[in-house]
Amino acid sequence: MIINRHLVTIAFRQLQNRRRQTFLTLLGISVGVMVLITAVSLMDGLLQSFIQKIVDIAPHVIVSGERVKSPVPDQLIVSGNGNHVVFVKKVNRERQDVIKNYPRMESLIKSDSLVQVVTPLVSMDVIGMFGTISQPVQLFGIVPFTENEIEKFSNSMVSGKFDALGRTPDGIMLGTTVAKDFTARVGDRMRIVSQSGVIYSVRVVGIFKTGINDIDDNSYVNLRLGQIIGGFSPDEASDLYIRVNDLPKDGLVASTIERETNYKAITWEQKAASVVALFKMISGIVYFLVFFVIMVAGFGVANVLITNVLEKSRDIAILKSLGFKRSEITLIYLTQGLIVAIIGAAIGCVLGFLLIEIMSSIPMASSSQSFVSSSHLMMGKNPMYFVWASLFAVVVSLVAAVGPSRNAAKVNPVEILRGER
Amino acid sequence: MNDEAIIRLEHVRKQLTMKNGGEEIVSVILPDISFDIKRGDFAAITGPSGSGKTSLLYLMGGLDKPTSGSVFLDDQEISALSEEELASMRNQKLGFVYQFHFLLPEFNALENVMMPMLARGRFSTSEARSRASELLSRLGLSEKLHNKPNQLSGGQQQRVAIARALANNPSVLLADEPTGNLDSRSAETIYKLFSELNRETGQTIVVVTHDEHFASETKRILNILDGQLNSDKRLE
Repeated sequence: MIINRHLVTIAFRQLQNRRRQTFLTLLGISVGVMVLITAVSLMDGLLQSFIQKIVDIAPHVIVSGERVKSPVPDQLIVSGNGNHVVFVKKVNRERQDVIKNYPRMESLIKSDSLVQVVTPLVSMDVIGMFGTISQPVQLFGIVPFTENEIEKFSNSMVSGKFDALGRTPDGIMLGTTVAKDFTARVGDRMRIVSQSGVIYSVRVVGIFKTGINDIDDNSYVNLRLGQIIGGFSPDEASDLYIRVNDLPKDGLVASTIERETNYKAITWEQKAASVVALFKMISGIVYFLVFFVIMVAGFGVANVLITNVLEKSRDIAILKSLGFKRSEITLIYLTQGLIVAIIGAAIGCVLGFLLIEIMSSIPMASSSQSFVSSSHLMMGKNPMYFVWASLFAVVVSLVAAVGPSRNAAKVNPVEILRGER
Repeated sequence: MNDEAIIRLEHVRKQLTMKNGGEEIVSVILPDISFDIKRGDFAAITGPSGSGKTSLLYLMGGLDKPTSGSVFLDDQEISALSEEELASMRNQKLGFVYQFHFLLPEFNALENVMMPMLARGRFSTSEARSRASELLSRLGLSEKLHNKPNQLSGGQQQRVAIARALANNPSVLLADEPTGNLDSRSAETIYKLFSELNRETGQTIVVVTHDEHFASETKRILNILDGQLNSDKRLE
């Protein structure tokens, strides 16, 4: 079969003859492609910016006090009535949620060349009081210098200086959400009530905003003060945060720690898994809906071709009598579908690009309900969006064009040419 | 005159089966007809409407297949060819002219004439273009090469259609009531054109017509009545 140029010319001229309908079909495809590109950009942008933020300012590995295994028995006695008696040497109460002798752990972990920073912290739930306002606060005791290397608080300060925390033994640094709730400002004194009911007076030295609402809900004091408020011994920590040199190796670091110390170590991927899964699910739903937009555009293509084939049945009969083969007739109409799809997709790509630019410049009020807050919509920008959206539109259009094109090839010239009588 | 048969029909039968509410109605259009057309013939097929003369023309042109019997063109049994082979055969050996011009409305006169030459890729675009403009000039349309069909008169449209039918140098030119839709002056031009073509280039022409005047200008009149060959008269 010779695919010759004038089959394309015939296809093109026929479309030109139905300018209005062709234009509307083009518009349908353009809008479909535009919406698809924008939706992908939006969903991808959200996920990417979320992951980027985590990678930038969240610990890559968190070692917690949770044990991987329960203590093994030192002595096991099986009695006659089927009961077992297990002896373990330690008889005093042991907190199962703390890392014991954390400085040793810290130096052990640090000896791994993959690890960049390790920092201990204690976490606790307390009640914060400021003026007449009192409400629960998630409080962390940290080593400011090393903590900053992981969570980069010094870049997120809204007021006050991060360094001030290290210099102020009774200092507290509030997340922006907490500060807003208390209407507290830098320099204010507030009170912290521990779980055992002891009241501590602290001074606000800084307010930060990372954009991750989970973190902006927290407040930070120095490790020692935290240990006192939370009832930890000076060598106890509730977690160790780790930042690795080479991100993909975080799983390796975590499993080494678990194997060597028996403390639970989780990676940021594991911690964020549920959020990422939620993102993916939402994206899936969005893509599914957008799919229908393109489907409707596909119906538009089918419609313009069906009309063309019906209206042009006389011309098809003539082409056949002139020696055009069935396959060539089919090709003419498939080409029409392709022309509409390619032009429509091209316009859609331009519109999609513009819409992404516009959307990413619209200021957005941040909401504490979302995972990540930002002053603007974070739109993903990747040339592959355009490639995939266009490809998808072309495939849908071609599928839509198959039926009408095959019908065109079935036109029986004798019936048509005689029918004119 | 050369006695070699270019088209030969042997016991051709054509019937149509129509379904009418579960009941099959068979209508016989051509019961059994045999004749041949010689190379260089200029034959008119006449007969009342419904006599089957158009069906006969479509069978000769390979646009339709007989129910039984054989049609030969240049000693090749075209009634046995596949649809794809028939398409190529029509392109190379046959030219059709219909009652209506049936030009492609989106293309100008020149492009319409080029179409059959480009269909099977036998000619390059430039060859097709020069040949098409030569044909159109020969038919007196050198001024109208770039006119679209709707910018041409009925007679001019029909002449473009004839040029298109002649584009691939067909063995046989088949015409179905080519003057049926024209005023008498334009029709006269077409008669003359066909006669000239036949006389000057030896083009074999078969014309279906019920125009007695046109028929009398040809060399041979085949009269069809109820699907049977009623008379076969040579003029001159």
